[in-house]
Amino acid sequence: MGEEKAESYLYKLEAVLEKGRLLTVVVIAQTDERAFSSAENNLLRHTIAPPHIKELSLVEKKPLGRQGVGYVVETSTFA
Amino acid sequence: MAERKQWKWAADPSLNKMEFTKLEKDGLDVIEAIVNIYSKEGFASIESSDMDRFKWAGVYQQRPKDGHFMMRVRIPGGILNSEQARVLANIAEDYGRDLVDVTTRQAVQFHWLTVESLADIFDRLASAGLSSFEACGDCPRQIMGNPLAGIDPHEVLDTRPIVAELEKFFLLNRDFSNLPRKYKISVSANIHNAAHAQINDLAFTPAKKAMAGEEVIGFHVWVGGGLSAKPYLAKQLDVFVRPEEVVKVAAGVTTLFRDFGYRQKRTHARLKFLVADWGPEKFKEQLMELVGELEPGGIDLTSGWNGGYFYGIHEQRQAGLYYAGLSVPVGRMNAGELNELARLADEYGDGTIGTCNTQNVLIRNIPEAKVAAFRNEPMIVKRFKLQPNTFVGYAVSCTGTEYCNLAIVETKERMRSLAHYLDDTVVLETPLRIHMIGCPNSCGQRQIADIGLQGALVKTSNGMVEAFDIYVGGTLEEPQFNRKLNARITVDRLGPFLAQLITLYKADRQEGEPYWRYVERVGLSHIQAQVDAILQPA
Repeated sequence: MGEEKAESYLYKLEAVLEKGRLLTVVVIAQTDERAFSSAENNLLRHTIAPPHIKELSLVEKKPLGRQGVGYVVETSTFA
Repeated sequence: MAERKQWKWAADPSLNKMEFTKLEKDGLDVIEAIVNIYSKEGFASIESSDMDRFKWAGVYQQRPKDGHFMMRVRIPGGILNSEQARVLANIAEDYGRDLVDVTTRQAVQFHWLTVESLADIFDRLASAGLSSFEACGDCPRQIMGNPLAGIDPHEVLDTRPIVAELEKFFLLNRDFSNLPRKYKISVSANIHNAAHAQINDLAFTPAKKAMAGEEVIGFHVWVGGGLSAKPYLAKQLDVFVRPEEVVKVAAGVTTLFRDFGYRQKRTHARLKFLVADWGPEKFKEQLMELVGELEPGGIDLTSGWNGGYFYGIHEQRQAGLYYAGLSVPVGRMNAGELNELARLADEYGDGTIGTCNTQNVLIRNIPEAKVAAFRNEPMIVKRFKLQPNTFVGYAVSCTGTEYCNLAIVETKERMRSLAHYLDDTVVLETPLRIHMIGCPNSCGQRQIADIGLQGALVKTSNGMVEAFDIYVGGTLEEPQFNRKLNARITVDRLGPFLAQLITLYKADRQEGEPYWRYVERVGLSHIQAQVDAILQPA
């Protein structure tokens, strides 16, 4: 095995926008810092006008070593 | 290598990847490889497919993955003797950077071990009748029990022989070394649910039944409990089990899990998923098909929940003898302190020490004449106190980012300093259990805490700041998991925030009302309004 390569993680972040709107962002990164930065980039890509992010938090990370790692993100319900 | 079992699920192509790893080579076979190869040839020699199997030896890679390992040692039922304690202390001193953690399953954990040290550690453990084997992995793990077994005025029978039989039956038993996932057993005849029955895969709790004109003391059986990201309370089966039937029933339940537990998806493999699907009735029927007829349930002897706490000096069942419940803040001690505990156990007690699922310890069998001197021992006065302050005494923490690869925030030292802060800030004479965890998994059993704190990282203008989500109202008294509030508190505000929240509870509570019951009475929205008021900008 020898020297350990930097492990990647699947990160789950939560972005609180104005009016209490909550977005969940999932990114792959090797460090917590990179996860935040990637999440912000993805939020920018997702919106036309830059979103006003009141709070961005990293809430979970899972190692990418296993196939199938993921998150379930609850969003809205259909009537 | 032992002869490989031919499991009936081996032909199923939809098994998850880990199942194929387990079929290729039994997890227990890694022990031989560690002893004969890896401990001699070093970290670089470890076959990558064996790294997962290290868990069967009770060993995990710790964070960062730079060649160091965490080891968990089984303390069956949470009772060990002073000789064993000294062996553990010496291992910590020689190989583990002087660190010993008592876990929420009454086990002992080391950190910083190298693979080169493992063979010697296995030998040392074996010489004291201890083992790390199957303390992790997809197998029957540390058996949780009543650390007061045999001396407890609140137990209806001595469970030590039962725990010993279970340990003997399951440990290194290749019939059960390939389960779908981890598997946790709890056995206690303490009437206050000392071993947290409802959060174990299989639990035995005290019961009695009139049979043939005779009152028999035995157990009720619970199956399918567990915490983690999707917590589930165990369900009671309508059966009464005599003490001599416990191993048979445990073997039956474990066989059901082994043969019918789900192996397609690792995230859906714990016994709780099978129990949720089958329901307790079908589970009971299947169990009786395996082990034969069982008596229907009798009278439940469980009365409330002691939370796993035993602080102070208390009379034992044996007249003239006492036990001493001691506080080990967040379960962490060093080798010298463990050696000192061993000395205290020898000098004042009968040499036995209890480990508690609250990360604390106790000394057993202290004669009345020695109690006063025991109280005055410097270790008891200064460090492992008989009556700790409220918050230090009821604080539990997982390992956190210090060693855990999944944790998002630091917890162990933070929980300790937070508890000290609260003790300095809020006077509260009654217990309030605060559990801190560093990720959504539940090593620190956040869900059953009065106040649960779950870590997150928040991005601020000053960079990343550690923060905690707040959960309230967890208990096993009237079992329910705590519920999340809308509040993510950064660490700089966590102490003052909790101090205010607890002060509001103190002002509003009814006589003797624990926090979980208070939450139940006033409602979550009331607590949320308290939180909103506290967090409102000045």
